Amino acid sequence: MLIKLLKYDLKYMIRNMCVFYILSVFFAITTRLLSLPEQTVMIKILSRISSGCMIAMIADIIINVMMRSWVRFRDSIYKDESYLTHTLPVTKNDLYNSKFIQTLIFFFVGFVFVILSLFIAYYTPHTWLIIKEYIKAITTGFNMSMLFFITITFLIIFLELFNAIQCGFLGIILGYKMSNGKTGLSVLFGFVFYLISQTLVLSLVFVYGLFDNSVMELFKSGTINIDVNAFRVLAIVSSILYLIIIFGMSIICKKVLNKGVDIE
Amino acid sequence: MELLEIKDLSKKYENKYALKNINLKLSSGKIIGLLGKNGAGKSTLIKLINDLLTPTDGEILIKGNKVGVESKKIISYLPERTYLNKQMRVNEVLNYFEDFYDDFDIQKAKRLLKDLDLDDNQKLSKMSKGMQEKVQLVLVMSRNADLYILDEPLGGVDPATRDYILDTILSNFNENASVIISTHLISDIERILDEVVFIDKGEIALQSDTDELREKENASIDEIFRRMFKC
Repeated sequence: MLIKLLKYDLKYMIRNMCVFYILSVFFAITTRLLSLPEQTVMIKILSRISSGCMIAMIADIIINVMMRSWVRFRDSIYKDESYLTHTLPVTKNDLYNSKFIQTLIFFFVGFVFVILSLFIAYYTPHTWLIIKEYIKAITTGFNMSMLFFITITFLIIFLELFNAIQCGFLGIILGYKMSNGKTGLSVLFGFVFYLISQTLVLSLVFVYGLFDNSVMELFKSGTINIDVNAFRVLAIVSSILYLIIIFGMSIICKKVLNKGVDIE
Repeated sequence: MELLEIKDLSKKYENKYALKNINLKLSSGKIIGLLGKNGAGKSTLIKLINDLLTPTDGEILIKGNKVGVESKKIISYLPERTYLNKQMRVNEVLNYFEDFYDDFDIQKAKRLLKDLDLDDNQKLSKMSKGMQEKVQLVLVMSRNADLYILDEPLGGVDPATRDYILDTILSNFNENASVIISTHLISDIERILDEVVFIDKGEIALQSDTDELREKENASIDEIFRRMFKC
Protein backbone atom coordinates (compact mmCIF):
# COMPACT_ATOMS: atom_id res chain seq x y z
CA MET A 1 0.00 0.00 0.00
CA LEU A 2 2.96 2.33 0.65
CA ILE A 3 3.86 2.19 -3.05
CA LYS A 4 0.29 3.12 -4.02
CA LEU A 5 0.21 6.02 -1.58
CA LEU A 6 3.59 7.17 -2.80
CA LYS A 7 2.41 7.01 -6.41
CA TYR A 8 -0.36 9.52 -5.71
CA ASP A 9 1.79 11.73 -3.48
CA LEU A 10 4.45 11.90 -6.19
CA LYS A 11 1.82 12.67 -8.82
CA TYR A 12 0.58 15.57 -6.71
CA MET A 13 4.08 16.96 -6.32
CA ILE A 14 4.97 16.55 -10.00
CA ARG A 15 1.78 18.38 -10.93
CA ASN A 16 2.72 21.32 -8.72
CA MET A 17 6.48 21.35 -9.15
CA CYS A 18 6.97 20.72 -12.87
CA VAL A 19 6.25 24.36 -13.74
CA PHE A 20 9.24 25.46 -11.64
CA TYR A 21 11.50 22.80 -13.18
CA ILE A 22 10.48 23.79 -16.68
CA LEU A 23 10.89 27.52 -15.99
CA SER A 24 14.27 27.13 -14.32
CA VAL A 25 15.61 25.13 -17.29
CA PHE A 26 13.95 27.56 -19.71
CA PHE A 27 15.61 30.60 -18.10
CA ALA A 28 18.90 28.69 -17.90
CA ILE A 29 18.73 28.15 -21.66
CA THR A 30 17.83 31.80 -22.35
CA THR A 31 20.66 32.93 -20.04
CA ARG A 32 23.05 30.75 -22.00
CA LEU A 33 21.74 31.96 -25.37
CA LEU A 34 21.97 35.60 -24.32
CA SER A 35 25.50 35.37 -22.98
CA LEU A 36 27.07 36.20 -26.33
CA PRO A 37 30.71 37.29 -26.48
CA GLU A 38 29.85 40.69 -27.97
CA GLN A 39 26.73 41.99 -26.24
CA THR A 40 24.67 45.07 -26.99
CA VAL A 41 23.25 47.01 -24.02
CA MET A 42 19.81 45.52 -24.63
CA ILE A 43 21.16 41.96 -24.76
CA LYS A 44 23.08 42.65 -21.55
CA ILE A 45 19.88 43.80 -19.84
CA LEU A 46 17.94 40.78 -21.12
CA SER A 47 20.74 38.48 -20.04
CA ARG A 48 20.68 39.90 -16.50
CA ILE A 49 16.88 39.59 -16.33
CA SER A 50 17.01 36.02 -17.60
CA SER A 51 19.75 35.13 -15.13
CA GLY A 52 17.76 36.72 -12.28
CA CYS A 53 14.65 34.78 -13.27
CA MET A 54 16.61 31.54 -13.27
CA ILE A 55 17.97 32.21 -9.77
CA ALA A 56 14.43 33.03 -8.61
CA MET A 57 13.17 29.74 -10.06
CA ILE A 58 15.98 27.84 -8.35
CA ALA A 59 14.97 29.40 -5.02
CA ASP A 60 11.33 28.58 -5.83
CA ILE A 61 12.24 24.93 -6.40
CA ILE A 62 13.67 24.58 -2.88
CA ILE A 63 11.05 26.74 -1.13
CA ASN A 64 8.16 25.07 -2.95
CA VAL A 65 9.27 21.54 -2.08
CA MET A 66 9.15 22.58 1.58
CA MET A 67 5.88 24.52 1.38
CA ARG A 68 4.09 21.96 -0.80
CA SER A 69 5.22 19.10 1.42
CA TRP A 70 3.83 20.82 4.51
CA VAL A 71 0.59 21.83 2.81
CA ARG A 72 0.11 18.35 1.32
CA PHE A 73 0.78 16.79 4.70
CA ARG A 74 -1.68 19.08 6.50
CA ASP A 75 -4.40 18.75 3.84
CA SER A 76 -4.34 15.01 3.58
CA ILE A 77 -3.99 14.32 7.31
CA TYR A 78 -6.17 17.04 8.84
CA LYS A 79 -8.26 18.91 6.24
CA ASP A 80 -11.19 17.79 4.04
CA GLU A 81 -9.05 15.28 2.15
CA SER A 82 -8.38 13.52 5.45
CA TYR A 83 -11.90 12.08 5.24
CA LEU A 84 -10.56 9.96 2.41
CA THR A 85 -7.00 9.51 3.69
CA HIS A 86 -8.01 8.09 7.06
CA THR A 87 -10.67 5.80 5.61
CA LEU A 88 -8.25 4.13 3.19
CA PRO A 89 -7.26 0.62 4.28
CA VAL A 90 -3.68 1.65 5.05
CA THR A 91 -1.75 2.04 8.28
CA LYS A 92 -0.93 5.43 9.77
CA ASN A 93 2.75 4.52 9.42
CA ASP A 94 2.32 4.08 5.68
CA LEU A 95 0.55 7.43 5.44
CA TYR A 96 3.46 9.11 7.19
CA ASN A 97 6.20 7.18 5.38
CA SER A 98 4.72 8.06 2.03
CA LYS A 99 4.93 11.80 2.80
CA PHE A 100 8.45 11.35 4.20
CA ILE A 101 9.74 9.52 1.11
CA GLN A 102 7.93 11.88 -1.25
CA THR A 103 9.73 14.86 0.30
CA LEU A 104 13.05 13.03 0.19
CA ILE A 105 12.63 12.25 -3.50
CA PHE A 106 11.63 15.80 -4.39
CA PHE A 107 14.60 17.28 -2.57
CA PHE A 108 16.84 15.09 -4.70
CA VAL A 109 14.96 16.00 -7.86
CA GLY A 110 15.14 19.67 -6.83
CA PHE A 111 18.90 19.47 -6.35
CA VAL A 112 19.28 17.82 -9.76
CA PHE A 113 17.34 20.64 -11.45
CA VAL A 114 19.26 23.33 -9.56
CA ILE A 115 22.58 21.86 -10.69
CA LEU A 116 21.29 21.23 -14.21
CA SER A 117 20.07 24.83 -14.55
CA LEU A 118 23.32 26.26 -13.24
CA PHE A 119 25.26 23.99 -15.58
CA ILE A 120 23.22 25.01 -18.64
CA ALA A 121 23.42 28.70 -17.81
CA TYR A 122 27.00 29.13 -16.75
CA TYR A 123 29.10 26.15 -17.80
CA THR A 124 32.23 26.93 -19.78
CA PRO A 125 35.53 25.03 -19.60
CA HIS A 126 36.94 28.15 -17.96
CA THR A 127 34.31 28.45 -15.18
CA TRP A 128 34.53 24.70 -14.59
CA LEU A 129 38.28 25.04 -14.14
CA ILE A 130 37.84 27.91 -11.66
CA ILE A 131 35.33 25.90 -9.58
CA LYS A 132 37.60 22.85 -9.68
CA GLU A 133 40.63 24.87 -8.61
CA TYR A 134 38.64 26.51 -5.83
CA ILE A 135 37.40 23.21 -4.44
CA LYS A 136 40.89 21.72 -4.86
CA ALA A 137 42.36 24.55 -2.80
CA ILE A 138 39.86 23.91 0.00
CA THR A 139 40.26 20.11 -0.07
CA THR A 140 44.05 20.35 -0.15
CA GLY A 141 43.92 22.70 2.83
CA PHE A 142 41.62 20.35 4.72
CA ASN A 143 43.51 17.27 3.56
CA MET A 144 40.48 15.51 2.11
CA SER A 145 39.37 14.20 -1.27
CA MET A 146 37.19 16.33 -3.54
CA LEU A 147 34.56 13.61 -3.57
CA PHE A 148 34.38 13.58 0.24
CA PHE A 149 34.14 17.37 0.39
CA ILE A 150 31.37 17.62 -2.21
CA THR A 151 29.45 14.69 -0.71
CA ILE A 152 29.62 15.97 2.87
CA THR A 153 28.71 19.54 1.83
CA PHE A 154 25.61 18.38 -0.08
CA LEU A 155 24.71 15.94 2.67
CA ILE A 156 24.76 18.68 5.33
CA ILE A 157 22.69 21.07 3.18
CA PHE A 158 20.26 18.25 2.43
CA LEU A 159 19.97 17.15 6.06
CA GLU A 160 19.55 20.73 7.22
CA LEU A 161 16.64 21.27 4.82
CA PHE A 162 15.14 17.89 5.62
CA ASN A 163 15.37 18.64 9.32
CA ALA A 164 13.31 21.79 8.69
CA ILE A 165 10.69 19.68 6.86
CA GLN A 166 10.53 17.20 9.72
CA CYS A 167 10.12 20.00 12.26
CA GLY A 168 7.20 21.22 10.15
CA PHE A 169 5.58 17.76 10.08
CA LEU A 170 5.96 17.35 13.83
CA GLY A 171 4.67 20.90 14.38
CA ILE A 172 1.58 20.16 12.26
CA ILE A 173 0.85 16.90 14.09
CA LEU A 174 1.27 18.29 17.59
CA GLY A 175 -0.34 21.63 16.71
CA TYR A 176 -3.48 19.92 15.42
CA LYS A 177 -3.51 17.48 18.32
CA MET A 178 -3.45 20.29 20.87
CA SER A 179 -5.36 23.10 19.23
CA ASN A 180 -8.18 21.24 17.49
CA GLY A 181 -7.40 22.41 14.00
CA LYS A 182 -5.79 25.81 14.43
CA THR A 183 -2.90 26.25 12.00
CA GLY A 184 -1.22 29.00 14.04
CA LEU A 185 -0.12 26.64 16.77
CA SER A 186 1.29 24.21 14.19
CA VAL A 187 3.45 26.97 12.71
CA LEU A 188 4.63 27.99 16.17
CA PHE A 189 5.42 24.39 17.14
CA GLY A 190 7.30 23.84 13.87
CA PHE A 191 9.41 26.93 14.49
CA VAL A 192 10.11 25.95 18.10
CA PHE A 193 11.12 22.40 17.07
CA TYR A 194 13.45 23.85 14.47
CA LEU A 195 15.13 26.06 17.07
CA ILE A 196 15.36 23.11 19.47
CA SER A 197 16.91 20.85 16.82
CA GLN A 198 19.50 23.50 15.90
CA THR A 199 20.32 24.14 19.56
CA LEU A 200 20.58 20.41 20.16
CA VAL A 201 23.05 19.91 17.29
CA LEU A 202 25.14 22.87 18.48
CA SER A 203 25.07 21.69 22.11
CA LEU A 204 26.11 18.18 21.20
CA VAL A 205 28.95 19.49 19.03
CA PHE A 206 29.98 21.60 22.05
CA VAL A 207 29.90 18.48 24.26
CA TYR A 208 32.05 16.70 21.67
CA GLY A 209 34.38 19.70 21.79
CA LEU A 210 35.03 19.04 25.49
CA PHE A 211 36.93 15.96 24.36
CA ASP A 212 38.44 17.44 21.22
CA ASN A 213 40.36 20.72 21.44
CA SER A 214 40.26 21.40 17.71
CA VAL A 215 36.46 21.41 17.80
CA MET A 216 36.39 23.48 21.00
CA GLU A 217 38.47 26.14 19.23
CA LEU A 218 35.40 26.87 17.06
CA PHE A 219 33.59 28.03 20.19
CA LYS A 220 36.58 29.86 21.70
CA SER A 221 38.24 31.52 18.74
CA GLY A 222 36.94 34.79 17.32
CA THR A 223 38.38 34.20 13.85
CA ILE A 224 37.02 31.86 11.19
CA ASN A 225 40.10 29.75 10.92
CA ILE A 226 38.74 26.24 10.94
CA ASP A 227 41.18 23.53 11.80
CA VAL A 228 41.39 20.60 9.35
CA ASN A 229 40.36 18.08 11.97
CA ALA A 230 37.63 20.35 13.35
CA PHE A 231 35.99 20.70 9.95
CA ARG A 232 36.04 16.97 9.35
CA VAL A 233 34.64 16.22 12.82
CA LEU A 234 32.07 18.99 12.59
CA ALA A 235 30.84 17.72 9.24
CA ILE A 236 30.60 14.09 10.28
CA VAL A 237 29.26 14.67 13.81
CA SER A 238 26.60 17.16 12.71
CA SER A 239 25.49 14.85 9.87
CA ILE A 240 25.07 11.97 12.30
CA LEU A 241 23.22 14.22 14.76
CA TYR A 242 20.87 15.48 12.06
CA LEU A 243 20.14 11.92 11.00
CA ILE A 244 19.36 10.91 14.59
CA ILE A 245 17.12 13.96 15.11
CA ILE A 246 15.27 13.42 11.82
CA PHE A 247 14.57 9.76 12.55
CA GLY A 248 13.75 10.54 16.18
CA MET A 249 11.18 13.10 15.07
CA SER A 250 9.68 10.70 12.53
CA ILE A 251 9.23 8.09 15.29
CA ILE A 252 7.45 10.68 17.47
CA CYS A 253 5.25 11.72 14.53
CA LYS A 254 4.20 8.12 13.86
CA LYS A 255 3.55 7.41 17.54
CA VAL A 256 1.28 10.45 17.87
CA LEU A 257 -0.53 9.64 14.61
CA ASN A 258 -1.05 6.04 15.70
CA LYS A 259 -2.75 7.24 18.88
CA GLY A 260 -5.50 8.54 16.61
CA VAL A 261 -6.66 11.78 15.08
CA ASP A 262 -9.57 14.10 15.77
CA ILE A 263 -10.74 15.52 12.48
CA GLU A 264 -13.04 18.52 12.66
CA MET B 1 -21.18 -12.26 14.74
CA GLU B 2 -22.68 -8.76 14.63
CA LEU B 3 -21.69 -6.53 11.73
CA LEU B 4 -21.21 -3.59 14.06
CA GLU B 5 -20.90 -3.72 17.81
CA ILE B 6 -20.35 -0.67 19.96
CA LYS B 7 -19.58 -1.09 23.64
CA ASP B 8 -19.69 1.72 26.22
CA LEU B 9 -18.49 4.26 23.68
CA SER B 10 -17.90 7.83 24.84
CA LYS B 11 -16.37 10.85 23.20
CA LYS B 12 -15.55 13.89 25.25
CA TYR B 13 -14.47 17.32 23.99
CA GLU B 14 -12.79 19.25 26.79
CA ASN B 15 -15.48 19.05 29.49
CA LYS B 16 -18.46 18.14 27.34
CA TYR B 17 -19.55 14.68 26.24
CA ALA B 18 -20.52 14.48 22.55
CA LEU B 19 -21.35 10.81 23.05
CA LYS B 20 -21.89 9.08 26.36
CA ASN B 21 -21.90 5.33 26.98
CA ILE B 22 -23.23 4.26 23.63
CA ASN B 23 -24.06 0.59 23.27
CA LEU B 24 -25.30 -0.57 19.90
CA LYS B 25 -25.47 -3.75 17.84
CA LEU B 26 -26.31 -3.77 14.14
CA SER B 27 -26.68 -6.87 12.00
CA SER B 28 -26.23 -7.45 8.26
CA GLY B 29 -28.80 -6.99 5.54
CA LYS B 30 -30.53 -3.89 6.88
CA ILE B 31 -30.93 -0.22 6.08
CA ILE B 32 -30.65 1.70 9.32
CA GLY B 33 -31.58 5.31 9.84
CA LEU B 34 -29.42 7.16 12.31
CA LEU B 35 -31.68 10.01 13.32
CA GLY B 36 -31.32 12.92 15.67
CA LYS B 37 -31.38 16.68 15.94
CA ASN B 38 -28.43 18.87 14.99
CA GLY B 39 -25.57 18.32 17.40
CA ALA B 40 -27.12 15.14 18.81
CA GLY B 41 -23.95 13.15 18.08
CA LYS B 42 -24.78 11.39 14.79
CA SER B 43 -21.71 12.61 12.90
CA THR B 44 -19.49 12.04 15.94
CA LEU B 45 -20.59 8.40 16.08
CA ILE B 46 -20.03 7.96 12.35
CA LYS B 47 -16.61 9.58 12.53
CA LEU B 48 -15.61 7.32 15.40
CA ILE B 49 -16.59 4.23 13.39
CA ASN B 50 -14.48 5.56 10.51
CA ASP B 51 -11.34 6.34 12.52
CA LEU B 52 -11.71 10.09 12.05
CA LEU B 53 -12.08 10.61 15.78
CA THR B 54 -10.45 8.86 18.72
CA PRO B 55 -12.81 7.54 21.39
CA THR B 56 -12.42 8.73 24.96
CA ASP B 57 -13.72 5.39 26.23
CA GLY B 58 -15.23 2.22 24.87
CA GLU B 59 -14.78 -0.02 21.88
CA ILE B 60 -16.04 -0.36 18.33
CA LEU B 61 -15.95 -3.73 16.59
CA ILE B 62 -16.72 -4.21 12.92
CA LYS B 63 -17.16 -7.91 12.15
CA GLY B 64 -15.09 -8.55 15.25
CA ASN B 65 -12.25 -6.23 14.19
CA LYS B 66 -11.32 -3.05 15.98
CA VAL B 67 -11.33 0.13 13.89
CA GLY B 68 -8.28 -0.09 11.61
CA VAL B 69 -7.07 -1.40 8.29
CA GLU B 70 -9.34 -4.49 8.34
CA SER B 71 -12.47 -2.51 9.22
CA LYS B 72 -11.74 0.05 6.51
CA LYS B 73 -11.63 -2.72 3.91
CA ILE B 74 -15.30 -3.50 4.55
CA ILE B 75 -16.74 -0.05 5.25
CA SER B 76 -17.71 2.30 2.47
CA TYR B 77 -18.13 5.78 3.88
CA LEU B 78 -19.74 8.87 2.41
CA PRO B 79 -18.96 11.94 4.52
CA GLU B 80 -21.07 15.06 4.55
CA ARG B 81 -18.32 17.10 2.91
CA THR B 82 -16.45 16.86 -0.37
CA TYR B 83 -13.16 15.14 0.29
CA LEU B 84 -11.62 14.52 -3.12
CA ASN B 85 -8.49 16.23 -4.36
CA LYS B 86 -9.87 18.92 -6.67
CA GLN B 87 -6.83 18.70 -8.95
CA MET B 88 -7.85 15.21 -10.04
CA ARG B 89 -10.11 14.21 -12.91
CA VAL B 90 -13.03 11.87 -12.30
CA ASN B 91 -11.31 8.96 -14.09
CA GLU B 92 -8.20 9.48 -11.95
CA VAL B 93 -10.37 9.23 -8.84
CA LEU B 94 -11.87 6.00 -10.20
CA ASN B 95 -8.36 4.58 -10.62
CA TYR B 96 -7.48 5.79 -7.12
CA PHE B 97 -10.41 3.88 -5.63
CA GLU B 98 -9.58 0.82 -7.73
CA ASP B 99 -6.01 0.94 -6.44
CA PHE B 100 -6.94 1.10 -2.78
CA TYR B 101 -10.18 -0.86 -2.49
CA ASP B 102 -10.21 -4.47 -3.66
CA ASP B 103 -14.02 -4.42 -3.68
CA PHE B 104 -14.33 -1.39 -5.98
CA ASP B 105 -16.22 -2.12 -9.21
CA ILE B 106 -14.94 0.42 -11.74
CA GLN B 107 -17.36 -0.68 -14.47
CA LYS B 108 -20.30 -0.13 -12.14
CA ALA B 109 -18.93 3.30 -11.24
CA LYS B 110 -18.63 4.27 -14.91
CA ARG B 111 -22.18 3.10 -15.53
CA LEU B 112 -23.53 5.12 -12.61
CA LEU B 113 -21.60 8.21 -13.72
CA LYS B 114 -23.14 7.86 -17.17
CA ASP B 115 -26.62 7.57 -15.63
CA LEU B 116 -25.99 10.83 -13.80
CA ASP B 117 -24.65 12.53 -16.94
CA LEU B 118 -21.26 13.04 -15.34
CA ASP B 119 -18.22 13.24 -17.60
CA ASP B 120 -15.47 10.99 -16.27
CA ASN B 121 -12.85 13.10 -18.01
CA GLN B 122 -13.84 16.27 -16.20
CA LYS B 123 -11.67 17.86 -13.54
CA LEU B 124 -13.27 17.96 -10.08
CA SER B 125 -12.34 21.63 -9.69
CA LYS B 126 -14.56 22.39 -12.70
CA MET B 127 -17.55 20.66 -11.15
CA SER B 128 -20.18 22.18 -8.89
CA LYS B 129 -20.38 21.04 -5.28
CA GLY B 130 -23.52 19.06 -6.10
CA MET B 131 -21.78 17.26 -8.96
CA GLN B 132 -18.81 16.44 -6.72
CA GLU B 133 -21.20 15.00 -4.15
CA LYS B 134 -22.76 12.81 -6.83
CA VAL B 135 -19.30 11.56 -7.85
CA GLN B 136 -18.61 10.71 -4.22
CA LEU B 137 -21.89 8.84 -3.91
CA VAL B 138 -21.06 6.86 -7.06
CA LEU B 139 -17.63 5.98 -5.68
CA VAL B 140 -19.05 4.83 -2.36
CA MET B 141 -21.91 2.82 -3.86
CA SER B 142 -19.61 1.17 -6.41
CA ARG B 143 -17.84 -0.74 -3.67
CA ASN B 144 -19.07 -4.18 -2.69
CA ALA B 145 -18.70 -3.36 0.98
CA ASP B 146 -20.26 -5.02 4.02
CA LEU B 147 -21.23 -1.74 5.62
CA TYR B 148 -22.12 1.51 3.90
CA ILE B 149 -22.17 4.60 6.08
CA LEU B 150 -23.78 7.63 4.50
CA ASP B 151 -23.63 10.87 6.43
CA GLU B 152 -26.31 13.29 5.22
CA PRO B 153 -26.37 11.97 1.64
CA LEU B 154 -29.47 14.01 0.80
CA GLY B 155 -28.38 17.36 2.19
CA GLY B 156 -28.48 20.22 -0.32
CA VAL B 157 -29.86 18.03 -3.12
CA ASP B 158 -33.04 18.70 -5.11
CA PRO B 159 -36.00 16.31 -4.64
CA ALA B 160 -35.54 14.60 -8.03
CA THR B 161 -31.88 13.84 -7.32
CA ARG B 162 -32.87 12.79 -3.81
CA ASP B 163 -35.09 10.08 -5.29
CA TYR B 164 -32.32 9.03 -7.65
CA ILE B 165 -29.87 8.80 -4.73
CA LEU B 166 -32.29 6.66 -2.71
CA ASP B 167 -32.87 4.39 -5.70
CA THR B 168 -29.11 4.16 -6.23
CA ILE B 169 -28.64 3.18 -2.60
CA LEU B 170 -31.40 0.58 -2.79
CA SER B 171 -30.28 -0.98 -6.02
CA ASN B 172 -26.55 -0.92 -5.44
CA PHE B 173 -25.87 -2.48 -2.11
CA ASN B 174 -25.72 -6.22 -1.83
CA GLU B 175 -28.20 -8.15 0.26
CA ASN B 176 -25.69 -9.19 2.88
CA ALA B 177 -24.55 -5.64 3.49
CA SER B 178 -26.02 -3.01 5.75
CA VAL B 179 -26.45 0.70 5.21
CA ILE B 180 -26.40 3.33 7.94
CA ILE B 181 -27.93 6.62 6.79
CA SER B 182 -27.71 9.71 8.91
CA THR B 183 -30.13 12.45 7.94
CA HIS B 184 -32.62 15.08 9.01
CA LEU B 185 -34.83 14.42 6.01
CA ILE B 186 -36.70 11.56 7.64
CA SER B 187 -39.81 11.66 5.47
CA ASP B 188 -37.66 11.21 2.36
CA ILE B 189 -35.87 8.10 3.54
CA GLU B 190 -38.58 6.57 5.72
CA ARG B 191 -39.76 4.26 2.93
CA ILE B 192 -36.42 2.49 2.66
CA LEU B 193 -35.55 2.05 6.36
CA ASP B 194 -35.63 -1.33 8.11
CA GLU B 195 -34.46 -0.03 11.46
CA VAL B 196 -34.06 3.32 13.20
CA VAL B 197 -31.68 4.54 15.86
CA PHE B 198 -32.61 7.83 17.53
CA ILE B 199 -29.75 9.75 19.10
CA ASP B 200 -30.34 12.57 21.55
CA LYS B 201 -27.77 14.54 23.55
CA GLY B 202 -25.07 11.98 22.84
CA GLU B 203 -27.09 8.98 23.95
CA ILE B 204 -29.16 6.34 22.18
CA ALA B 205 -32.76 7.35 22.81
CA LEU B 206 -34.37 4.53 20.85
CA GLN B 207 -33.46 1.58 18.63
CA SER B 208 -36.27 -0.23 16.87
CA ASP B 209 -37.51 -2.02 13.78
CA THR B 210 -39.37 0.60 11.69
CA ASP B 211 -42.50 -1.46 11.03
CA GLU B 212 -42.83 -2.41 14.68
CA LEU B 213 -42.37 1.19 15.75
CA ARG B 214 -44.94 2.50 13.27
CA GLU B 215 -47.43 -0.12 14.42
CA LYS B 216 -46.80 0.52 18.09
CA GLU B 217 -47.05 4.31 17.85
CA ASN B 218 -49.58 4.31 15.04
CA ALA B 219 -47.63 7.06 13.30
CA SER B 220 -44.92 7.55 10.70
CA ILE B 221 -41.27 7.64 11.76
CA ASP B 222 -41.23 11.31 10.85
CA GLU B 223 -44.13 12.02 13.20
CA ILE B 224 -42.63 9.95 15.99
CA PHE B 225 -39.36 11.83 15.61
CA ARG B 226 -41.10 15.21 15.70
CA ARG B 227 -43.06 14.18 18.80
CA MET B 228 -40.02 12.84 20.57
CA PHE B 229 -37.74 15.78 19.87
CA LYS B 230 -40.26 18.61 20.08
CA CYS B 231 -38.51 21.79 21.21
